[in-house]
Amino acid sequence: MRSFAEFDPVAVTVWFFAVIGVAMFCGHPLLMAISLAGAVLFFVVRNRGKRGKSHLFFVLLFAVLALANPLISHNGATVLLVVNNRPVTLEALLYGVNSAAMIVGVLYWFRSFTQIMTSERILCVAGTLSPKLALVLSMSLRAVPMFARRARQVSDAQKAMGLYSEDNIIDDLRGRMRVFSIISTWALENGIITADSMSARGYGTGRRSQLRHFRFTAADGVFTLAVLALVGVVAAAIATGSLAFTFYPRIDVAVTGALGVCGAAAYGALVLLPVIIETEVSLRWKFLQSKI
Amino acid sequence: MIVIKNRDLRSAIRVIVPFVAVPATALAGALVFDRKRHIIVSLAIAVMALLLFAAGFERKTTGSRRLVIVSVMTALAFAGRFIPFLKPIAALTIITALYLGGEAGFLVGAMTAVLSNFYFGQGPWTAFQMLAWGMTGLVAGIIAEPLKHRKWLLLVYGALAGVAYSFTMDIWTVLWYAEGFSFKLYLGALFTAIPYTVSYAASNVLFLALLAKPFGEKLDRIKTKYGV
Repeated sequence: MRSFAEFDPVAVTVWFFAVIGVAMFCGHPLLMAISLAGAVLFFVVRNRGKRGKSHLFFVLLFAVLALANPLISHNGATVLLVVNNRPVTLEALLYGVNSAAMIVGVLYWFRSFTQIMTSERILCVAGTLSPKLALVLSMSLRAVPMFARRARQVSDAQKAMGLYSEDNIIDDLRGRMRVFSIISTWALENGIITADSMSARGYGTGRRSQLRHFRFTAADGVFTLAVLALVGVVAAAIATGSLAFTFYPRIDVAVTGALGVCGAAAYGALVLLPVIIETEVSLRWKFLQSKI
Repeated sequence: MIVIKNRDLRSAIRVIVPFVAVPATALAGALVFDRKRHIIVSLAIAVMALLLFAAGFERKTTGSRRLVIVSVMTALAFAGRFIPFLKPIAALTIITALYLGGEAGFLVGAMTAVLSNFYFGQGPWTAFQMLAWGMTGLVAGIIAEPLKHRKWLLLVYGALAGVAYSFTMDIWTVLWYAEGFSFKLYLGALFTAIPYTVSYAASNVLFLALLAKPFGEKLDRIKTKYGV
């Protein structure tokens, strides 16, 4: 019993790229609606309704993006009203709504992505791909809090020496610059020592290992295969033109044939997979608790 | 970032990407997809450029000292992104490129983009940011000699790099929004982005003026002292 976030990072990454890839590159209004609804649902389910205020920004963004297009583009057959001798058309408005759904949906997917794919997970994925770049990433990540700690030490020392006054802006800035300069010298010198120590311990001679081991289990395998199969169906539907659509001059977003319906259904299933997993896990958890 | 442990695969990538994949993608973008799909093409080419770079990087037996210095500079640039309005990332990238070469500069720019986006939000734009900041460093590394000796040239380069960064990211904005490149939208995006463009250029000039000399001395000193 693992929640979705506890799946192997590679499997989770594959799922995210599949969902976001279709959302970004397909553009069919039905899929955009699925993506937007699924992305918001996933985010809300994962955060259990918290972070309610942050949605306001995205509602505003949606409105701005949706209304921007009819002001710029004047294509389309159905004229709603005429502003400055320029027609504002229904088609352009709906096109704007579609683009807004795409962008806001992708933004929501990436909000969840940032929450789930913490730096250690990214390092796990990057480490299987390129150990050297993963090392640079992980060392920089470690260095940032270290700088903050050292900055405090250095500025305390400066204060004790009487070199650091806060009541004068110019003096304050000069003091900060001095602290920054000291930290960077320290960090660079220290880096060389770290590097020498790494070489002395045999860095780069054997296979790289990671602090936390994620295991690619059978469940991860099944999940990844399911994701790939569903994406295959969606891709087939897009490639054969079953999910083709036009906005100008007239809207035509009909889903044609069995393949088109299957494609849309497959994308819906793909989007809902982790929500199903999360719900299943929390239900089972509740059930186990109620037994105690 | 992608599988580059295998030697044959690496050399294959180095040949295939610039000579086959990029032209093929560009052609396919022009012929097969209509103009709505420019975004796929541009994103694919951005990712391929990063892949090409990663292949070259993993190939070299980059010393661990160099690697550590790159990660220190990345961390400094990353920490600097928290300063409101003024971003020292490009300036630190350029400085690294001047003293440690274009490749190190590219790395600092690209890695800072990935890392700082853990805080500022990852997105499809991450690839573009990586490429834009990376190129800022790479180009600075290529013309390092004149830039090192003439300060005004360095400042001009910083300003241009800031403007170029903003213009590149606006291309991305337009492609993403309109699913096709519209010059009118692009001009509109450039116009609304003027405050950002100015702040990028200004912070590059400011931080290069402030940091180029002291940081150059520090990096030079490390280089002579330890022979990086």
